[in-house]
Amino acid sequence: MKAVDATDNALMARVSAGDLPKLAVLFERHHRALFRYFVSLNRDRELSEDLVQDVFFRILRYRSTYDPGKAFTAWMYGIARRAGLDRARDRRAEVIGIEAIVERRGEPASAAPGPEERAAKGQNLGLLERALDLLPADKREILVLSRFQEMKYEDIAAALNCEVGAVKVRVYRAVRALEQIYFALEKEKAS
Amino acid sequence: MTCEEMESRMAEYWGRTLDPQQQSEVEAHLAVCETCRAGAQRLGSLWRDLARLPTPEPGPGVRERFYETLAAYRDGAAAARPALKWVWQIAAGVALALAGVGAGYSLRSSQTVNAEVAQLRAEVGNMRQLVALSLLQQQSASERLRGVSWTYRVEPSDTEVLAALLTAVNHDPNVNVRLAAVDALHPFAASPVTRDAVIQALRKQAAPIVQVALIDLLVDLKETEAAPELQRVVSDNSADADVRQRAQWALEKLQ
Repeated sequence: MKAVDATDNALMARVSAGDLPKLAVLFERHHRALFRYFVSLNRDRELSEDLVQDVFFRILRYRSTYDPGKAFTAWMYGIARRAGLDRARDRRAEVIGIEAIVERRGEPASAAPGPEERAAKGQNLGLLERALDLLPADKREILVLSRFQEMKYEDIAAALNCEVGAVKVRVYRAVRALEQIYFALEKEKAS
Repeated sequence: MTCEEMESRMAEYWGRTLDPQQQSEVEAHLAVCETCRAGAQRLGSLWRDLARLPTPEPGPGVRERFYETLAAYRDGAAAARPALKWVWQIAAGVALALAGVGAGYSLRSSQTVNAEVAQLRAEVGNMRQLVALSLLQQQSASERLRGVSWTYRVEPSDTEVLAALLTAVNHDPNVNVRLAAVDALHPFAASPVTRDAVIQALRKQAAPIVQVALIDLLVDLKETEAAPELQRVVSDNSADADVRQRAQWALEKLQ
């Protein structure tokens, strides 16, 4: 992991110095993880694909502000969070009818697999996925970064702009909250 | 170790990233505390299951659009350096003309060549304007982004392209296109229309990232007339904190 990070940082330093084609390597390495980060947070594939574009566009535009002494992933997820917030703000500014909101709420599974895949995956993972969807956004985000992206706690702290100790406690509390939702769903299903 | 301290160790315990000293402290606590032991087991199993959830894959369009943006950006970056190139071209032209006169070329033939070059340049300019304008009207955001890049290749006196860029800044639904269009206004700085429009755009713009770019542009243009608008942003409690901070910075810069 460390070696990969060093290479990421070195590549971004090159991009920052004007060697733009090197960004393609970083894109190939990280765009899937970024997509998963966004889909986990907003459950909207199309929007998440747009947001992946936003992030790489901003990396290009702000390449000169990258500090090679800091982890590229921490910087990138900092940008990703900002892009997500900006887009949410843009969307709030849009005039959307109530039907559209209901429709959006009603399709949280747009990123989820089809029925066959779900059956093959077993009941538990399906429930776990639903529980994750119901988790408050900040808790979901920290689980996505620590578990799906396997980021180091130091890098998560840098991306979220908080202390490393706080990140570790928040990960624990997020899993605890996830468990409570998971068991509530399980109970609901059994009754 | 207390149960509370366990909260900050648990994630690393599941991930097996504790150092040996911390690992044995955690194990010692788990051996004596049934509540933590049960919790570590239950939550640990959920933690492991999370890694088994299916990974959603982005569609192929994402890669395509990224490479298009990268290419457009490279074109834009290359085209954004014409000022220096022109200086060299003019210098080289002057040197050639002097050498030509020295070698006995007639002034008349050099005038004919100049006229042809000017005509060719005008044709190329028209073509670039056409490409930029038509790309700016496309449905796809990445096409419009390419259109913005093309505007770097037109003469900064082209009012039609300036108008299209200002429309993009104020009305494009995609934040990246708006942002790129703000950047592309730099070469048009000499026009008073641009300066006034940038101040107006700051009032209309909703996305903080674009607002910051507009403020930076006003500072680059040394637009002192923007002060009242910047002051309004600074005192607007509902505005984004970063934007207000940037506006304050801009006010100090412009003083």
